[in-house]
Amino acid sequence: MGYETKILQLKKMLGKKKTEQPEKTVYKKPERPAYIDEWKKAGLSIVENDFGVVCKRQVRYPSDYRHGKYELKQFFHAVEKWEKAEIEHPFSINQEENVLFFDTETTGLKGAGTHIFLLGFLEADEEEFVLNQYVLADPANEAAFLFESKLWQPGKTVVTYNGKSFDWPQLETRWTFNKNYLPKLQSPRQIDLFHSSKRIWKNQLERLKLIKVEEEKLGIKRDHDIPGFLAPVIYSDAVKSGNASGLVKVLQHNEWDILSLLTLYIHSTSLLLDRVLQDGAVTYTNIGKWYNDLKEHKQSEQVLSAVTKQFDEEEAGLAYYYLAFQQKRNKQFKESAESFQKALHTIEGRKKLNALEQLAMMFEHRMKEYSKALQYTIEGIEIIRKADFLNEEQKKRQLEHWDKRLQRLKGKLRKYSEAP
Amino acid sequence: MKKIRTIDELINEWQQDEELKQNIVHIATIEGREGEYEDFPDCLHPSLKKALLERGIEKLYSHQRQAFDLALAGKSFTAITPTASGKSLCYHLPVLQKILEDSSTRAIYLFPTKALAQDQKADLNDLIDSMNEEIYCYTYDGDTAPNIRQKVRKAGHIVMTNPDMLHSGILPHHTKWVSLFENLKFIVIDELHTYKGVFGSHVAHVLRRLVRICEFYGSQPIFICTSATIKNPKELAEKLTNTKHVLIEKSGAPAGKKTFIFYNPPIVHKTFGVRRSAVLEATNLAARLYKAGIQTIVFAKSRVTVERLVTYLKELTKNKINDGSIQGYRGGYLPSERRRIEKGLRDGSIQIVVSTNALELGVDIGQLQACIMTGYPGNIASAWQQAGRAGRRQDSALIIYVANSSALDQYIVNHPDYLLGNSPEEALINPENILILMSHLKCASFELPFSTDDTYGEFEVQELLEYLQEEGVLVKTNAHYYWMSDRFPAKDVNLRSAAEENVVIIDQTVPGGTKVIGEMDTYSAMTLLHEEAIYLHQGVQYQVEKLDWEEKKAYVREVDVNYYTDANLAVELKVLSEDKAASYEDVTVSYGDVSLVAVPTIFKKIHMTTLDNIGSGKVHIPPMEMHTNATWISFSLPENWSEEMLTDALTGAAYAIGSFIPVFIQCDRKDVTVVPQVKAVHNGRPTLFIYDSYPGGIGLSEKVYDLLVPILELTIQHVQSCPCEQGCPSCIGAQDHLTDGKEKVLKILNILLNEVM
Repeated sequence: MGYETKILQLKKMLGKKKTEQPEKTVYKKPERPAYIDEWKKAGLSIVENDFGVVCKRQVRYPSDYRHGKYELKQFFHAVEKWEKAEIEHPFSINQEENVLFFDTETTGLKGAGTHIFLLGFLEADEEEFVLNQYVLADPANEAAFLFESKLWQPGKTVVTYNGKSFDWPQLETRWTFNKNYLPKLQSPRQIDLFHSSKRIWKNQLERLKLIKVEEEKLGIKRDHDIPGFLAPVIYSDAVKSGNASGLVKVLQHNEWDILSLLTLYIHSTSLLLDRVLQDGAVTYTNIGKWYNDLKEHKQSEQVLSAVTKQFDEEEAGLAYYYLAFQQKRNKQFKESAESFQKALHTIEGRKKLNALEQLAMMFEHRMKEYSKALQYTIEGIEIIRKADFLNEEQKKRQLEHWDKRLQRLKGKLRKYSEAP
Repeated sequence: MKKIRTIDELINEWQQDEELKQNIVHIATIEGREGEYEDFPDCLHPSLKKALLERGIEKLYSHQRQAFDLALAGKSFTAITPTASGKSLCYHLPVLQKILEDSSTRAIYLFPTKALAQDQKADLNDLIDSMNEEIYCYTYDGDTAPNIRQKVRKAGHIVMTNPDMLHSGILPHHTKWVSLFENLKFIVIDELHTYKGVFGSHVAHVLRRLVRICEFYGSQPIFICTSATIKNPKELAEKLTNTKHVLIEKSGAPAGKKTFIFYNPPIVHKTFGVRRSAVLEATNLAARLYKAGIQTIVFAKSRVTVERLVTYLKELTKNKINDGSIQGYRGGYLPSERRRIEKGLRDGSIQIVVSTNALELGVDIGQLQACIMTGYPGNIASAWQQAGRAGRRQDSALIIYVANSSALDQYIVNHPDYLLGNSPEEALINPENILILMSHLKCASFELPFSTDDTYGEFEVQELLEYLQEEGVLVKTNAHYYWMSDRFPAKDVNLRSAAEENVVIIDQTVPGGTKVIGEMDTYSAMTLLHEEAIYLHQGVQYQVEKLDWEEKKAYVREVDVNYYTDANLAVELKVLSEDKAASYEDVTVSYGDVSLVAVPTIFKKIHMTTLDNIGSGKVHIPPMEMHTNATWISFSLPENWSEEMLTDALTGAAYAIGSFIPVFIQCDRKDVTVVPQVKAVHNGRPTLFIYDSYPGGIGLSEKVYDLLVPILELTIQHVQSCPCEQGCPSCIGAQDHLTDGKEKVLKILNILLNEVM
């Protein structure tokens, strides 16, 4: 009501356009924001380039700097491990790559009106690590800010947390606004640790916000951190009031995020490549499954059989299930059947149905033990009847399919028992 | 049972029929006309020519040729296109031609609804297939799968969408559509006439934002609009698009003979002036057409009436198993159901379809032979649109208008010239509506920063931007205003009326097998989906068991009862500001902004056939608030009158005046509402409020302010000459008991007229 009344008053001020719009001009360097010197108090330095000004914060870390349970230099060990492992994996980094751990802070969630106001990059510099954070001085100085990121230079590998669907598209949006003046934005190789965390901790971590992963897996507990959703308000306040004291908190938040990216990379690499188990059955089963999907069957089998050896049958149920497929691939039918049988105790729904089908197939065609095959078939049909993961149409089709097997097996059994 | 006859045979028969001929007030015939043709343009691309020839098109209608020439000359235009005049070629031809000449060319097609876009896509793809060229056209709406969105943005030559999607799904994300905006040559707006009122005013701004973004990317598209016949197509197109348009007024398409029958149901109760129900009469006439083997469309004004008609008509086929030859069709049916009905109409397996105005729009159902309008659809343009549904090219077509007992209907059925001789209504929009403008100014600021000397469309907006800066959503740098808020402004603006979201209707008749059977806008849901309401869907009755207003879900169960429900809305009005006022001796007439609160109060259960009230209950739904424009007339309680006497008289006067406003300002009956208040909140005096039925208003009640004298004159004349004794639905509304109501209403009306004259 208050808003509408005010607006209704403005109605009187609404005029009609009188003059034509002037032609678009070439890039005109924007003015420095009046408050820019004030911002220096927040520990920011001012960088000037052809496109205007940008604020910057730099932090250097010695290589034995510890964030959570790792020292930063363990990143170099992780890269070495990948080089030795010779596995095709989306995570693998080689020593020639120029790796940037990258995170942004924005004024909103989506759309052309959302600005990126903070670009943070962490990279190795000889034996040290260096963090560069660029802060948008004001929206008019956006081209200066984007140019300083140097993301127009080729040959970088960017490591992010959910960057593929958030940070990078946002960056492309901002670049589009300035494309008439700026060199073209590169399309670097991207490693998204959000994607890999989803694969590794599926069914294990309920929420995969970076901060949760830090607490549960990386041994990091942040003190006096601001929640990420406050960042937009703090920045817009800094621009409107000229006072940047709140920004320090946002810079700190972003710094932690990026350091955690590096730690997370080290930790994930260790989970994927080290032969010592340091996480639960669910995690390693996920990793085994991931290797399988990447067609790294040898790796997959190794990880999954390690799970079956280390954990009891109940915990390893799902690992048996995936392992059984690997064994079947290797034509180890007896082993495969045993694994499926062990899996049956814990798995449910669609997976259980698949396992029963595999067992029925193997006992019919490989082992030729028809009565066992029949038993699994009957059990499978039972599951389909009760299934809530199939709709009526699918149920009908599945039942027809399974009934064929049932009839065939009954026929074979009859023939077998009639035989002399 | 069936005896197939032609339309002309049937009309002769009815004129001899003792029962029918008394009710036929007037018959008018409009002769058919030959088509006007032109050769293909010389430059027409050979692939296009081939595709046309394959479809048996060897020449263009004159309007199609004119459209092609204008588009290629880079001129925006608007073409008036009656039903079945090949309107889509007016835009397909030039657009496809330009794409064939330069494959970077892009076009946006805008349809008022998602369903229409999807319909047109199938049609356009057929044409492209027979051209054998690499041209991609896609629909882009809420149904577009995420995995092909990328492709649509980058490679779609023609993007077919609706204003809502453009508003919240495309414009705020324009940086993902660079190749579209850099190369946009055509913006096609189909069904222009639907962009009126508040919706049209919103769309006008969406288009200004679109043009602004095109300017940023350096493209200068032209507008191509097609419209049904309205009074002011050129003005509407120019106001909507903020661009000069050439008007193509004359259609070159041939048309068959049309016969109009004006049908007035007989009076069954003289004292109360009660006529037989228009719905029952329409059912009877439709049954006759059905038996004569004539494919017919029956239009009704409300969803409830559609369902009642379907129920009655299905009696005709109840002895046949699985007979689907009679169908209902209206908004709220699911798309798959609608597609099936449209197909049934084209292939002839459906013989009668009963529809709300959903089928006025360009859904392709082919042409039917006859059309019955159950009650006046509210405006001349709609009446012609509905009539246009009947008439196969060479065949004679029959249009029957069955009047109901309302005052406006009775006026129209007795004055055929009003419908036949008048030009259709103006479609009004008001992009200057400040509430609408501000919402879109925010969206525009979000999309592209305004500079400190920018304008927006035809508006000077620097002061408004300054205001938004003070409000904290924009920050001002030396030369620009930038969006600086974590809000996504397009999400806060809904282009369609007050109703933000639809209520989903869930059938829980089968335990464990609950399914969604339809949806409805929130405003209609207030009176149609309250708890205990009987909701009709394809002639099946459902009772609403639970309405979850927060979640916008209505849970229904199938029932079999002999009544339907009807709910009342109570309205409270407050004056916010008075912009104009005229004082007379004892009467004041004012115009300004008002706030109104609508509360559904009670519902009645009404017997299906006797129409008796057989029960009632309370409706528990929170009130809905709206700000709009109004003209109001205040006066004093006449001497020796009690307040009760005044209540009845004012209600009758409001009813009578409301009926005739559309005659003067050429709007739809429901666009303007008249509400009596015995003691108005702002001045404590008896007052009649006449307000625009849309948030923010669209300038209708302002017109009433200037036309009060002739409106009152006609109202008095009509009430006086009405043959009833004590007042009836055709003049002052149905009266509960025998009183001198009519006399009192006339007294009030005369007091007002005498003073303001």
